[in-house]
Amino acid sequence: MLVEFEQIQKAKAGDDAAFNQVIVAYRKRIMGTIARLIGRPEDVEDVAQEVFLRLYYSLDQLRTPEVFEPWLYRLTVNASYDYLRKQRRRNESRMADLSEQQVMMADASAGGKANSDQNHRTQVKELMDSLLGSLSQEDQILLKLKEVEGLSLKELEQVYRVKENALKVRLFRARQRVLKLYAASQESKPPDGKLD
Amino acid sequence: MDKLDQELNSLFAAYRDAIPDPEASANFMPRLWGKIEAKRSFVYRLRKMSHLAVATALAACLLGGFLVAPLTSRDNQIAGTYVDILAEAHADDALAATGGVRIDLLDGPQK
Repeated sequence: MLVEFEQIQKAKAGDDAAFNQVIVAYRKRIMGTIARLIGRPEDVEDVAQEVFLRLYYSLDQLRTPEVFEPWLYRLTVNASYDYLRKQRRRNESRMADLSEQQVMMADASAGGKANSDQNHRTQVKELMDSLLGSLSQEDQILLKLKEVEGLSLKELEQVYRVKENALKVRLFRARQRVLKLYAASQESKPPDGKLD
Repeated sequence: MDKLDQELNSLFAAYRDAIPDPEASANFMPRLWGKIEAKRSFVYRLRKMSHLAVATALAACLLGGFLVAPLTSRDNQIAGTYVDILAEAHADDALAATGGVRIDLLDGPQK
């Protein structure tokens, strides 16, 4: 937990200053998760605001502060999923400027790092995006939460409110699918075509 | 397959590094609180309007009740018992005119 239970209780009771502290504590982590879930850096802040807005208006429904984090992740997943659904409806394909944005973000965060670092990051992101693109948006989010965000099965169980075994099956299938695609991409690649 | 599994794991880790946690802009909090306030005032207005609508509907019901109640109660006003009303509505001659009661029987047996 990044904040004390007491702080969450105060925020729940309507203390705006306490709520402010909760946002400040979780903002960066939540924005990072959103960035990796939606893949569009320029929209991360908007989705994060939606998450915290939903948090503010539903905090009174939180039963105990102990389940705050999975609950916040659930809000994050739902807001990211809503965003992706809207994007899909708009039927926009912006993979080209995604890479561009990624490079810009790497520029901003890495400062004076070498270009090869940026190229490597861009390549990794593009490869993962293409591999994960074979999955449904639900499975992409689930797999990213497990493999990229590092959530345990227990935590995922609380986030999704689904039995651990059902999650295991779903995760296994999603991972196998990505693994097959990865194997195929490695086979079709020339011997010296490794990532930088 | 184990090798590929390991490679995929390191690819996931590299993916995480490739997209670091972004920093929020300076106006993140003001924008958020602006949205919260806007929604809060909208909810407040909506609640106030719904209270007003309920109060108006209640007042209309009461007014309607006060206007309609005296009219209906006057129509159904009963003065006297059921027998009195029957007697008033069907006087003897009127009963005879209907043929329901024979007048000669009323005068006693004939010889």
